[in-house]
Amino acid sequence: MSDWATYTLADFLMFSPRVYFRLIERYNQALWPLQLVFIAGALAVLVPAALHPSRVRIAVPSIFALAWGFCAWQFLWMRYASINWAMSYAAAAFFIQTGLLVLTALLAREPASVGGLRRYGGIGLAVFGLLAYPFIALLAGRSPASAETFGMMPDPTVATTLGAMLMVGRRTLWLLLPIPIIWCAYSGLTLWAMEDPGALAPFAVVVATLVFVAARR
Amino acid sequence: MIITRRAVVQGLGFAVSLPLMPRLTRGQPADLITKPIPRSGEPMPVVGLGTWITFNVGDDPVLKDECAAVIAAFFEGGGRMIDSSPMYGSSQPTIGHGLRKLDYPERLFSAEKVWISDPAGGAAQIEASRGYWGVGKFDLVQVHNLVSWEEHLPALFDMKAAGQLRYVGITTSEGRRHREIERVMASQPIDFVQITYNVLDREPEDRILPLAREKGIAVIVNRPFRQGDLIRQFEDAPLPDWVAETGARNWAQFLLKFIISHPAVTCAIPATTRVDHVRENLDAARGTLPDETMRRRMVDYVEAL
Repeated sequence: MSDWATYTLADFLMFSPRVYFRLIERYNQALWPLQLVFIAGALAVLVPAALHPSRVRIAVPSIFALAWGFCAWQFLWMRYASINWAMSYAAAAFFIQTGLLVLTALLAREPASVGGLRRYGGIGLAVFGLLAYPFIALLAGRSPASAETFGMMPDPTVATTLGAMLMVGRRTLWLLLPIPIIWCAYSGLTLWAMEDPGALAPFAVVVATLVFVAARR
Repeated sequence: MIITRRAVVQGLGFAVSLPLMPRLTRGQPADLITKPIPRSGEPMPVVGLGTWITFNVGDDPVLKDECAAVIAAFFEGGGRMIDSSPMYGSSQPTIGHGLRKLDYPERLFSAEKVWISDPAGGAAQIEASRGYWGVGKFDLVQVHNLVSWEEHLPALFDMKAAGQLRYVGITTSEGRRHREIERVMASQPIDFVQITYNVLDREPEDRILPLAREKGIAVIVNRPFRQGDLIRQFEDAPLPDWVAETGARNWAQFLLKFIISHPAVTCAIPATTRVDHVRENLDAARGTLPDETMRRRMVDYVEAL
C-alpha cells in the first residue's frame, strides 16, 4: 500500500479549530470596520453591473482585484501563513488571480452575451458571497467575530467574484476559474477536517459555479 | 521556634514571587522515572512534551502564554525533552516564547528536526530553528519523516562531531516506512529513532524496538494517544483496578505507562495545550511501570473493549 493511502484528511490539519477561528476573530477586530467598506464598495459596482453590465466592465474586475490582493496580503500572507506554511503558496496564487483580474479590467471589452440562468445564477452567487456568507459563522455555532466577509476573507471573496464574473459574462471566464475552484476545494476540506459545518459553503460555491458555467441559457 | 511577622511576610513574598523566579526550576530534584540514553547513559525522564498542532498558535498572545504555562508546568514537574519540527508551523517560536519566560531551564533537552528536501538547505533550516528556540545548540536533531535522509544524516553527523549538536536521529509516524527506518537503524550510527507506538499500534514490537535495543538506539514515541483518539475511544470504559498498583489513575496514564514500560522505549512525547494534562502526563512517569505480565493484560483489556 502506498504511503499516501495511509493518510487521512485530519493528518494534514496542522492547527486546531480554536487557533484558526481565533485568528479570524483577531483579524476582524484589528481591521474593523473595513469589512463594511469592502461590502459597500462591492455593492456600489455590483448593483449597476447587474442592471447594465457594459457600463461597469472596468470597475467590476478592478474591485475584485483589490479584494483578492488584500486577502492575499493581509489574511493569507500576514496571518494565516503563521499557522499554515502552505498559505505562502496560496497567497502567491491569490496574487496571480489579482493579476488576472487586473488584466481582465485592462482588456475589458463588450461583455459576452449571458443566458438568463447563468446571469441570475451569478447574481445569486454574488449576493450569497457578499451578504449571506458573514452569517455562516453564526449558523456553524461560532462567534459572530469570526464572520467571514468579502475582501477580508478568501471564501466570500471567491464566491462573490465567481458570481460577478458569471453575471457580467466575461469572455475570459475560463481564465478566472481555476484558482477560485482550487481554493474552494482546499478551504472546504480544511473546514471539513475541523468538523465545521461551514465546510459545505465552499463546496456549494464550486458546484453552483460549474452548473451555471455549463448552463447555456 | 518563634515565627515572626517578618518571616511570615518574607515567606508569603517568596511564594508570590515563585512564578517570577524561573531559575528556581533549574536543578530541582525530579522524582520522575528516567531511562538512560543508550549512547551516553544520560538519564532521560520517560515522559517528554510534543508540540504538533498544540503549540502552533501563531502570534496569538493569549494562546502563546497558555503554551508557556504548559512548558512551565512541564519543567516544574521534572520534564526535560521538548520535541518540535519546522513542519509544525509556529510551534518553534512558541517554544522560544515559553523558554524565554523561564530563562531557559538547564534541564531542557531540545529535540528538533530537519525537514527540507533540498539537502543544501538543511544547515540554514537548523539555524533558523535554533533562532526560534533561542538556544545555543540543539541536543538532538532528527531527520523528519526520512526526508532526504541520505544527504541530511552525514551533515548531522558532521555537526555532532563539531559539537554543534549532541545526538542525531530519524523519525517517522503512524507506522509509515518502517522497513526504511529499519535499514537506517541497521546501517547508520544514529542515536535516536522516533516512531509511533501505543497499546493498539504495536507493530514496532516485532522488529524496530528489538533492533533499537540491539543497536543501542534511544526510542522516542510520538502520538501516544493517536492525537487524543485513544482517550476518546476508551474514556467511557472503566479503568481496570489492577493498574492502580502502578500509580495509573486515568486512561492517559494507562496508555503512557504501557508505552514507556517497553524496555526499548526511552520516552514518550504527548502533546497538550493544558497545564492539568501535562501534569497528568508527567505523573505517568511516577510510581512503577507495568511488568511484562501486566503489559499483556493491558493489551488484552483494551482489545476486549
